[in-house]
Order: sequence, then C-alpha cells, then structure tokens
Amino acid sequence: MNERATTEEFLLQDFAADNASRAAPRPSWLDERRRRAVQTFRDEGIPNRRIEQWKYTDLRGALEGQVAAVSPKQILHSDRNPFAAVSAFQLSIADGCSQVPSSQIPLGIEMFDLGQLDDGAPDWVRQNYGEVLSRSAMGEASLAMMRGGIAMRVTAVTTPPVHLGFLQEANAVHCRLLLVMEPGASLVLLESHGKGRGLINLGVELVLEPNAQLTHVRLADSAPDAVQVEEIGMRVARDARYRGHFSHKGARLSRLELAIELEGEGAEAELSGAIVLGGKLHADVTTHIDHMAGKTVSRQLFKNVAGGNSRAVYQGKITVRKGADGSDSRQTAKAVLLGTRAEADLKPELEILADDVKCAHGAAVGDLDADSLFYLRSRGLPENEARRLLIHGFLEEVVLEIDRDDVRLAVRDFLESGLAKALESVS
Amino acid sequence: MNMLEIENLHVVVQGQEILKGLSLVIRTGEVHAIMGPNGSGKSTLSYTLAGREGYEITEGRILYQGKNLAPLTPEERATRGMFLAFQYPVEIPGVTTMNFLKTALNAQRRARGEKELDAMSVLKSVREAASALNVPEEMLRRALNVGFSGGEKKRLEILQMTLFKPLLAILDETDSGLDIDALKLVAGGVNALRAPDRAMLVITHYQRLLDYIVPDRVHVLDKGRIVAEGGKELAHELEAKGYAGLARDAA
Repeated sequence: MNERATTEEFLLQDFAADNASRAAPRPSWLDERRRRAVQTFRDEGIPNRRIEQWKYTDLRGALEGQVAAVSPKQILHSDRNPFAAVSAFQLSIADGCSQVPSSQIPLGIEMFDLGQLDDGAPDWVRQNYGEVLSRSAMGEASLAMMRGGIAMRVTAVTTPPVHLGFLQEANAVHCRLLLVMEPGASLVLLESHGKGRGLINLGVELVLEPNAQLTHVRLADSAPDAVQVEEIGMRVARDARYRGHFSHKGARLSRLELAIELEGEGAEAELSGAIVLGGKLHADVTTHIDHMAGKTVSRQLFKNVAGGNSRAVYQGKITVRKGADGSDSRQTAKAVLLGTRAEADLKPELEILADDVKCAHGAAVGDLDADSLFYLRSRGLPENEARRLLIHGFLEEVVLEIDRDDVRLAVRDFLESGLAKALESVS
Repeated sequence: MNMLEIENLHVVVQGQEILKGLSLVIRTGEVHAIMGPNGSGKSTLSYTLAGREGYEITEGRILYQGKNLAPLTPEERATRGMFLAFQYPVEIPGVTTMNFLKTALNAQRRARGEKELDAMSVLKSVREAASALNVPEEMLRRALNVGFSGGEKKRLEILQMTLFKPLLAILDETDSGLDIDALKLVAGGVNALRAPDRAMLVITHYQRLLDYIVPDRVHVLDKGRIVAEGGKELAHELEAKGYAGLARDAA
C-alpha cells in the first residue's frame, strides 16, 4: 500500500511542481472536473494485473521504480519521422507542448493549444473536453495532470493530412488530444510516437458528428525505455465513419486502449493494426466497440508478431446492445511467435444483447508454417530470409487495409524495419 | 558423369522406415522416371533429395555431382542447381508471385556470388517464361499460389524451373490433378528444358505423363526399394499389368 501511494503521489507532486514552475493557466470552469479526476486517480490507482482488463499488462509494475527515480532530462532522440514521405501539415508535440502556428493551418481546421486552456477556451472545447473519454484511472490521470496537448475542430472536407508527432524527454508526461469532427467533415490524422523514455500518458477524445469521416493512422516506434499509455475514447454519430490503423514496435510497456461508441444508426468503425516486437518489449492493444444503435458496423483485423522475450497482447470486446438490430461486427486477431520465449495473448470477447445481428470473430496464435518455410528454402531463400518473407506476407493483409498509397507505403516500411529487428532478437 | 548417385538409401520419417535400401544412378543429360503405387516412398524420396527436415538418412548415401548431399541445407541444394517441383505447391498469402520469383532468383544468384538482377531484368525473364507456359500477367500480381487452380499451380512450378535453370530437376507427381491440355502444356515446358547438362527425375503414379515426357530409364519403386528397372517400354508394361502384376513377376 505504501509503494502504491508513493507512485501516484510522486506523479501528482511532480506535476504540481512542474505546473507551478511554468505558471500554467488554471481555468475555473475546469476546477471541479479536475478535482474529480485527481480523486479517481487516487482512489483507483495505477492499474495492476488484478484488474481484468489489465491482466496481461502490468502498468503498476512498470511504473514503480521507473517514474520515481528522478533522472536528468536527456536530449530528444533524433527520431526518424515515419510519415516523412507523406505530404502533411505537421505539428510536433514535445513533452505535451506544441506551438500552434497562427497561419498555415489547413482550411476547415481550427486548432487550440490545450497548454493554454483558460477561461477563454472556445465553446467546442469546453463542451467536449473531458466528456468523451471514459473515467478510468489513467484517462483521469491524463486530465488531472495534463501538461498540454492539442484540440482540433474540423468543419469541412480537408485534403492534406494532419500529422501530430509526439516527442518526449521528461520523466512523466500527461497529455490530451481532442478532435471534433463537425457533420460531414473529413480528415486524415497521422500520429507518430518516437523513442522517448519515462511515462507518456495520452488521453484522446474523438467526436464524429453525423456523416463525418476520420482516417487515423498511428505509428509508434520502439521505445525500450518508455512506458506509453494511450486511451482513446470515441463517439461515432449517425452514418459517420472511423477508420483507424495502429502499428507498434513496442515499448518497455505500451498500452493502447480504444473505446468506441457507435451511437448513431449506420455508424462505422474499421480498425486494423500490427504489433511487431523483439527484445523484451511489450505491447498491448485493447479495444471495446459498443454497438449502441441499429445497422452499425465494426471491423477489426489485428496481427501481432513477437520475437525474443517480447509479449504482444490483443484484447477485443464487442458489445451489441439490445435494439441494435441489423448490426454487423467482424473481428480477426492472429499472432505469430518467432521463438519459444516470446508470448502472445489474444482475448476476443462478444456480448450480444440484440436479436438480429451478424457477428464473426476468430483468433489464432501459431508458429510460421513449416511447409511454407520449406517451400521457400527449397527455392534458395536462406532460412532467415524465408521467415522474413512469410511474416511480411502475414502483415501485408493489415497493410492493405490502408487506402492512401503514400500512407500505406509508410506503414509497410515502418513494419519492415520493425521486422528486421524482431528477427535479430531470435536466435 | 553422374548427376545423382543414390546408394542403399534408408530414410526414416517419424520413426518409420520408408525408404529401405534404394539405389539409383542418373547421368547428366538423362531423364529418369520413378513409378510406384501410393505409399511406395515416392514423395519421401523427393523430400529427402530436397533436404526437408524430419527425413532422416539412417543408412546409405546420396551423391549429387559427386559430393555428399546430406550436409547441405535446402537452400544450399537449390543454389547448387537442384529444383523440386512440388506435388502440392504451397500457398503464401501476402507475397505476390512476382516478388517471390525475384526474391528467390536473387537469393540464388547472391549465394553463387553472381550479381543480383534489377527489377526490370527479372520482369523480362519472368514474362518470357510466363508467355511460353500460358501464365497470365495478372497471376504474377496475385499472392503466390493463393486461389490458383491445380493447373495454375503446376504451371507456376514449371515457370520457376524455367527461370532457375536447375541442373537436376525433380518433378513430384507434376501430372496429378491436371487435365490433358494442362498436362501437355506442362510436359511441353519440361521438354523444352531437356539439355545435355541437365538431368531430370520424373516421379509419377501414372504412365500417362511419360507419353509426353519420354524417359531414358524407368524405375519401379515399391515398399521403399526399386523392384524393377528398364527403358521407356517398362512404363507401358506397368500400365498393362499394374503394380501388383509387376511385383509378382519380380518375385
């Protein structure tokens, strides 16, 4: 109990000191909300493996010892931008702080720096901020201790993608992202995370009004010294469509959680992603899709590859509520292990309360197929190259889910380089 | 010169002895056929030659170009000119046929210390081979063997053989699952590769294929041993009498 108090309180004190030193604004309209967030974080504490949704991922264990050990700041790693070849409007968010330019923002997009959240915040921020993401311990922590972040409102069909590049040098950073898609608006959002160290806890709120379309592609590079937590809460209104892609190379511990509410008839969510790990890295993708209205559609395709001593986790829960008739849900998760010390966990879960629904799900963990490996070797491919080609093929199905050519190429390159590393750590 | 010499070969698969003293010599430039009933050890022989894991040589030896084959990995055998056309070619999702052909071709060249071919040169060679075998361009863009018909898979095996220019080609029941037109097409592709510096081992259950690929020698395999040998006429004799009849004669 002592230890527990220490880590939570350390984070709260660390934030308070940092906040005071920066003389950050304190909007009065947010005071009560913030107090409750602090309370929830204190009461529930950092999740541990006794909590069902965290049974494969020991966040508490990863943070104890790491965050409390005060270490000097390091120079930011010179990260390679995985979206370098994509022509996008780019914004860097370093330790939660960004410089929102006053010009050059693409037409149809408004941006607001959450680091300057004060009483002058626009209505669309005040209405949505802190209201979409579920009030879990880490989600509330990102609100209670927010250092900064970005709020965006999209009011039109936009063309150039917006790329948010997250960088980190501080010991512990809590950060928020709010995106409001007005009716009929569309956006391609690219999100990248570099090497980093320490804890980054990002809370993301996405609001898709009727007929809005959001394509979201997140690439997180390997970060062996970092603990990355990202919780995404999303509301998808009538006939709006969300397409999300999430590829990771893992961190000391990485947890990505998506909670999607398909709340209007005809709302759609399509998720795809891959985890490619080596070394001692750990990555966890946990999704919950809630079909709240009729004729809602969800698709999920996740493929994980684990080498070395790494561990890749996918948990996916689908709820189809009473009355959500005509809903259609598909979920596929597969994992390949590259060695005997790697681990993959797949946990699909279905909760169907409506009568007339289509649901299909499948999950499988396995080794590379011995027949395929022999076939390729008999054609002259050395064993490591044959393995690499087979895994490339395994991941390609996920890569092909991405519509845009430039982004698809970026994701393929990203995964290929991760694969080379994962295979290295297999002896 | 001998391309392949198999002496008193015993092979154990999953604790069971399948080949029980098989001997065979194929000279460079010759085409040999191995015929035999189901379970006689035909596929075991082809997998053993290609170096598949789990096919353990417990006695005897295989000499390929005068050298012991056993220590070589499957990929080393391939780069030294051995090619096995599979009875059941494997489907590889997510890897286009073209990408596979280029990767394999260049892996072999690299292992032999030759310069790798650029994408254009590979494309040119593949197109040449493909048109002769009636393999459409569209097939090359699809994932390797995924959703291909039996005939398409076999044609792609022969296309690979054409591309890799092996010294010893082993065709494992290449005729199975083919209709007569597909059979003729495949046989035509194989015959085009007959050359004085190349040897072939055609493994089949039926004599039909040997009407189109006429062998220099025919060996009959039964219960892991060669039980009869002869010229191409042996295949017809076998067709008339059946394997049982031939086994009686041999006894």
